[in-house]
Amino acid sequence: MSSGFEEKNIDCVLAILRKKNPASTKEILALRDLFPELCSGCASGGDVILAGKKLVEKGIVERKWTSSGFLWELVYDPETEG
Amino acid sequence: MVVWHRIRKDFPVLDQLYEGKILIYFDSACMSLKPKQVWETIEYYYRYLSACGGAGRSTHSLGTETSLLAEEARDKVAKFINAKDSREIIWTRNATEGLNIAANSISITKNQNIVTTSLEHHSGMLPFYERAKKVGSEFRIVNASKDGRFDLSDFEKKIDDNTRIVSLVHASNVTGTIAPLKEIIEIAHEHNALVISDEAQYAPHAPLDVKKLDVDIAVLSMHKACGPSGMGVLYGKYDLLEEMDMFFVGGDVIEDVVYKDGKIIPKYLPPPHKFEAGLQNYAGMMGVGAAVDYLMNIGMEEVHNREQSLLRKLLRGMLDLEGIEIIGSTELKNRAALVSFRPKSDVVSHNDVSMYMNDMLPQHRIMMRAGNHCVHPFAYSIGMNPGKGEGSVRASLYIYNTFDEIEVFLGALEDFLRTIG
Repeated sequence: MSSGFEEKNIDCVLAILRKKNPASTKEILALRDLFPELCSGCASGGDVILAGKKLVEKGIVERKWTSSGFLWELVYDPETEG
Repeated sequence: MVVWHRIRKDFPVLDQLYEGKILIYFDSACMSLKPKQVWETIEYYYRYLSACGGAGRSTHSLGTETSLLAEEARDKVAKFINAKDSREIIWTRNATEGLNIAANSISITKNQNIVTTSLEHHSGMLPFYERAKKVGSEFRIVNASKDGRFDLSDFEKKIDDNTRIVSLVHASNVTGTIAPLKEIIEIAHEHNALVISDEAQYAPHAPLDVKKLDVDIAVLSMHKACGPSGMGVLYGKYDLLEEMDMFFVGGDVIEDVVYKDGKIIPKYLPPPHKFEAGLQNYAGMMGVGAAVDYLMNIGMEEVHNREQSLLRKLLRGMLDLEGIEIIGSTELKNRAALVSFRPKSDVVSHNDVSMYMNDMLPQHRIMMRAGNHCVHPFAYSIGMNPGKGEGSVRASLYIYNTFDEIEVFLGALEDFLRTIG
């Protein structure tokens, strides 16, 4: 059983991408303010990045390299698509 | 003469392909890699000893050898930093723990003040901030310039006869700048203030002589100096250690706990043991001893010179790139072997750089730290906003890095910048 920290940050990334999809890394970090109860950890954003990478591994989010840096896209929403 | 490619062979982590790619490790300011000599020593403890050491705890054969090797490691650390006496060396988990011990164990009164700087790691600032808050002491901050340097006259203004403690980072983990510690210590001592230096980023990379510096307390993170993770050292002048209170108490720190007439009367051991409560990380201590042996066999001057050569190539190469902003000084002089930077871009994050380097290169994974490196006050002071996810990327070097790796990194950074236009 984990501390729940990672799960919260996963929910944080999902909440952000439901608001703006796709979003750049910079946008994701800036939008954390909208979900303070979910987006926890150091202000520098490493925890949210790790959560995003976890979602990529699960196939829920796709990450693409673009001229705006990495673009994160929610391609399957476990909440609405079951 | 040191044959550096043979040194590199002592670090098998670098021999592996990680998911098919060659590793380039540029995150030694966070955690150094470990030479085989260190983990073989740790393995020796677990394979052949696995027993209690410590102040007279277990006197059987395995316990005796454990105590002996752990105390030998303490002697080696004393030699490594040129302490007068091994009793001045206290084992901790890391520099952070050392700073917390120091902040909470030195007597201070309400009318005294604590001086620190805007360039401190949170570990060098918060323990003292909290102590000052608890006691009601004034907490003073000397501001570093935008390039991470100090003006000695600022210390002269902030330190006065009521200053009890000056807490100062010797080499910054963000800007790499090296503070004029000797001069600051002289200013502090003129006012009878104690100086506590954070040596986490200095001691692994250059000769540290605590006697010559005349520093009162110095803390080290040995996991940044080829040692095992979770091992640190607090050095303190013996007289000061004797008068300091303990932050942790319990087993191993006492001579006796008398129970008389319904009252407890503890009699504590002298330093260093009065600071080392409970069963210790004996394997870690021995690993630190092996790490110190390893570095001293190379020679700390050699380590320093090698890193300066690597840094020269890295810094010059980065200065040629227009799309990045280097955080801190761009000079080579008085600088540790690390460079923090961020892309000059409104849309790209510092995290994009570290992810690109780790994930997107065809043949390599370059590992660096992205963030604010636990020095948020300095970030705010130079106009960066950690609260909005702004930060920098840090490339930090050590003895196993090569000129070829720096070449690969500079090429990758150029490609990155070209992509983002």
